[in-house]
Amino acid sequence: MASVALSEAEKVYIVHGVQEDLRVDGRGCEDYRCVEVETDVVSNTSGSARVKLGHTDILVGVKAEMGTPKLEKPNEGYLEFFVDCSANATPEFEGRGGDDLGTEIANTLYRIFNNKSSVDLKSLCISPREHCWILYVDVLLLECGGNLFDAISIAVKAALFNTRIPKVRVLEDEEGSKDIELSDDPYDCIRLSVENVPCIVTLCKIGYRHVVDATLQEEACSLASLLVSVTSKGVVTCMRKVGKGSLDPESIFEMMETGKRVGKVLHASLQSLLHKEESLGPKRQKVGFLG
Amino acid sequence: MPGDHRRIRGPEESQPPQLYAADEDEAPVARDSTRLRPVYARAGLLSQAKGSAYLEAGGTKVLCAVSGPRQVEGGERGSGPAGAGGEAPAALRGRLLCDFRRAPFSGRRRRAPPGGGEERELALALQEALEPAVRLGRYPRAQLEVSALLLEDGGSALAAALTAASLALADAGIEMYDLVVGCGLSRAPGPAPIWLLDPTLLEEERAAASLTVALMPVLNQVAGLLGSGEGGPTESWAEAVRLGLEGCQRLYPVLQQCLVRAARRRGTAAPP
Repeated sequence: MASVALSEAEKVYIVHGVQEDLRVDGRGCEDYRCVEVETDVVSNTSGSARVKLGHTDILVGVKAEMGTPKLEKPNEGYLEFFVDCSANATPEFEGRGGDDLGTEIANTLYRIFNNKSSVDLKSLCISPREHCWILYVDVLLLECGGNLFDAISIAVKAALFNTRIPKVRVLEDEEGSKDIELSDDPYDCIRLSVENVPCIVTLCKIGYRHVVDATLQEEACSLASLLVSVTSKGVVTCMRKVGKGSLDPESIFEMMETGKRVGKVLHASLQSLLHKEESLGPKRQKVGFLG
Repeated sequence: MPGDHRRIRGPEESQPPQLYAADEDEAPVARDSTRLRPVYARAGLLSQAKGSAYLEAGGTKVLCAVSGPRQVEGGERGSGPAGAGGEAPAALRGRLLCDFRRAPFSGRRRRAPPGGGEERELALALQEALEPAVRLGRYPRAQLEVSALLLEDGGSALAAALTAASLALADAGIEMYDLVVGCGLSRAPGPAPIWLLDPTLLEEERAAASLTVALMPVLNQVAGLLGSGEGGPTESWAEAVRLGLEGCQRLYPVLQQCLVRAARRRGTAAPP
């Protein structure tokens, strides 16, 4: 990830502040920075979202395309993730530099969606064994300001909420050959239910306490972090330890509880925000990239 | 291997016949959920590697080799900030490069060697679990390469690879704070699911959730944690982590004996 040079004194300042539940920008240990979410920003996609979390800027586009289902799961569609760390985010991502981080984030996304309840894959099936919808979720990292995983998971959830998949019908001829017909109305589409889509909460261990939504400076002071993926009901779908250091078993249990608590609140506010945005209707003023 | 054009060509795509076979419906045998499979571990078996280890747990067979420390050019970043605990500055610390490979015949279906995303992910998990244990500050500007090869996957492959990798590092004489012991767990689907320690391949395939824990037994610090699936509420995951840590503690004496035997072997074989 982007690195930032910190002196010893700055590190000590951050660590001591965190022990007192006071971070550099005045937040508490469990507070998120101000999050801006906007959906439907890219017109050529089936769904898109842009999330700005402090200095971290993520753009996600979802494209629904027809393809053949996987052999082991003939009645389901699937999701494909791709993460591109563009060189705009930080100079370290120039050329192939961002590929490692991109694969790591994509693998984590595959892992958190790798269970039956996150997304209803059966609704993506058109005709078993032959056609299904494949959702290509492409994540673009525009700016890296710490806490990438959280921002990306929020953006993916918002983009999936915004995704509109056209309704198709399969018509069978007398000979048995199948034809796929797209409905005439462009607004006739199926929406995915994102009730159980999880969000990632990264908890960074700094000193004896852990913080949620760490900035780049705080990440530089932390040796180990726990990444927990929580659904809105408090069910954990993925857990991963990140970083060079080790964690005490007791802190892991504490961090899981905090992650669940914070995750539930995050889901509630994201859900209400997405519904509010949708209720503004198609005539709402889009902020886009100029705001 | 590129296509062989002289022989009769088969179809473009081929699938193994097991995919179309009727479901075997082999229910996994009910067993004590805290049993660990007997482990066979041997260190110091490859002559070309600095350190090596072979670990067998049930059907899982993994071979790990360590080479290095090798000097690597890369001091262009100058003196970065010092790590916590007064260790050498970040640019001077050594690097640990891990590689995880599955042999093509290790699973039920043949997998061609560039395994793609999954092997990269497991290699990263190996690296993140081994870094806390290795004293990289003592190997400035050097690089250690750890490569794990899974010969047969019989369940909890990552856990076995972690254990074998730390045995190999110890066998290579790399300075470490402690050994890293890995343990796998899986949770069966169903109304009253329990976490099973050290699952077999069948149990893992039918699992609703799986978890791998890596522990440094003497320091009692968790070095690595990777889990996913429908595990349920946090209490269930916490119970699984506790079970895994207990399993790692039980495995530690076996590994200690293995290293002692390897050291004795090295001592008797040393030329006068």
